[in-house]
Amino acid sequence: MASKSLAWHKPWTPWLFLLPTLVGLFVFRLYPIVTACALSFTDWDLLGDPHFIGLGNYFEAFHDPDTWLVIGNTFKFSLCYVIGGMLVGLILACLIDVKLKGINFFRAAIYMPVVTSSVAVGIVWLWLLGPNYGLLAIICRHLGIRNMPNWLGDRHIVLYTVAFVQVWKMSGYYMILFLAGLQNISHELLEAATIDGATRPQRFFHVTLPLLAPTTFFVLTVAIIDSFKNFELILAMTKGGPMNASNTLVYDVYLNGFLYYRVGFAEAIAFILLVIVAFFTIANFFIKKRWARPWD
Amino acid sequence: MSQKLNRFPWVRLVLVILFTIIAIFPFAWMLSNSFMSEKSIFSDPPKFIPDLLFRKGMFDNYRQVIGIYNFGHYILNSILVVVFAAVGQLLVCSISGFAFAKMRFRGRNLLFSLLVLTFMVPVQVVIIPEYYLMMRLNWLDTYLPLIVPSFLAGAFGTFMLKEFYEQVPEALFDAGIIDGVSSFQMYATIYVPQSVAPIATLFIIAFMNNWNDLLRPMLYISKTELYTVTLGLTMFQGQYTSQWNLLLAASVLAVLPLIVVFIFCQRYIIENSMSSGIKG
Repeated sequence: MASKSLAWHKPWTPWLFLLPTLVGLFVFRLYPIVTACALSFTDWDLLGDPHFIGLGNYFEAFHDPDTWLVIGNTFKFSLCYVIGGMLVGLILACLIDVKLKGINFFRAAIYMPVVTSSVAVGIVWLWLLGPNYGLLAIICRHLGIRNMPNWLGDRHIVLYTVAFVQVWKMSGYYMILFLAGLQNISHELLEAATIDGATRPQRFFHVTLPLLAPTTFFVLTVAIIDSFKNFELILAMTKGGPMNASNTLVYDVYLNGFLYYRVGFAEAIAFILLVIVAFFTIANFFIKKRWARPWD
Repeated sequence: MSQKLNRFPWVRLVLVILFTIIAIFPFAWMLSNSFMSEKSIFSDPPKFIPDLLFRKGMFDNYRQVIGIYNFGHYILNSILVVVFAAVGQLLVCSISGFAFAKMRFRGRNLLFSLLVLTFMVPVQVVIIPEYYLMMRLNWLDTYLPLIVPSFLAGAFGTFMLKEFYEQVPEALFDAGIIDGVSSFQMYATIYVPQSVAPIATLFIIAFMNNWNDLLRPMLYISKTELYTVTLGLTMFQGQYTSQWNLLLAASVLAVLPLIVVFIFCQRYIIENSMSSGIKG
């Protein structure tokens, strides 16, 4: 393979083919990451010259209780989203993994929210959940439920409401990923377990779930990455409020960088975000190495 | 699983239908409410059948949203941006995916890992320096900042097509070698025709991602006549918080093109996600 491959193209051809991607990688990925890191040590406001202030932004961030609130929100949101999305996705996949005429219709319908725009999704859920005039409020009133929680106005609830909407939007995607894993499990093993007298739950927990481990870790990776993509939904539904209760790091970078013009501080927040993403990704990688069977 | 042995799965079917209703209902509600007058939309008990349906003024909300608030124009803007970004991404990703899959060169694994790793980085981490770069390039209030970064930095597309090209039978490659084709001919005349299905999927994925992108249009576009539909919807929401009938009609317009594309291509999208796990 190696000798054949070496012979079939000129040494510079791959670089020519990769040129646009390399430009993209360096100009729109690596350069901004390095610059962002450098700017996080300055007091830049997008207009004047940046001044080096060392770890000033990080000290400020970690001394500000709001930053801790936002970091906490980010963790809570990601945790709820990852657990909720994966659980619902797995349940949906198990339900839909059946040979029935027309099941593809349901599969597509459940997948549909995944492809739609987060802003429109945010708007329609805002309308459904609104106090007094929202459909849910009206239904609650007619059922005699007096104190329906204020889903978007109560600072103890709002973060979970947004996480719920994001889970609602994305579960169909994890369903499809789990479904792919389920359909790769050999039927012989499940039939053997049935013959051995395993009950349905036993079959699920002792055969299906262990064999699904590689898929589960793949879905986990994807869900973790997705759990940080909540900017559009927060903007459409809460703008981070009330009182920062639904503000996450992703939204906070936007707030500081583009509304308060505190670029240096925003970049410090961005770097805290990057460290958290890296932590999750690396942790997931090591857990996978330790626990999951090799892929395929 | 061994469903043939069991009775007809009623419980399962009921649950599936329940979940389908949960997934579809908000869209149905959005659609039905978008045909209501301002008075009827706040009625209690709620009406499920819109009061303007098949009456005079059925499309009043849409007429306002398109006529006065320019949503028709925003949709055309979005289509323009999205088609350029998606087509560009396809060209760039397929040729670089091919190079990663079929060519050997120094630093290949390092570059590929860098590409995949940067995909994990949330866009908010890179957006401020990117904004400054666009400012210096004088690209603000043009579509270039919406098109060029997604055009060039499509890590997922490159990854997906690399995986695909690695699976193309070696016999085709050998036949190309025997025919003495150039490396570009190898890519363009032998590998690209093999990859119509993944390229079509990638086009749809790129279409959706760019259509739904909000942060970049928010930062780079300030002239209303250049708004994309997602940006237009956000701005509209900011100004007319309580005009729900118009807001919902605008939301329908923003998701309708996506749902149409999805209905026509859902087999492609879902089956591709099932085999490679990629949505973008």
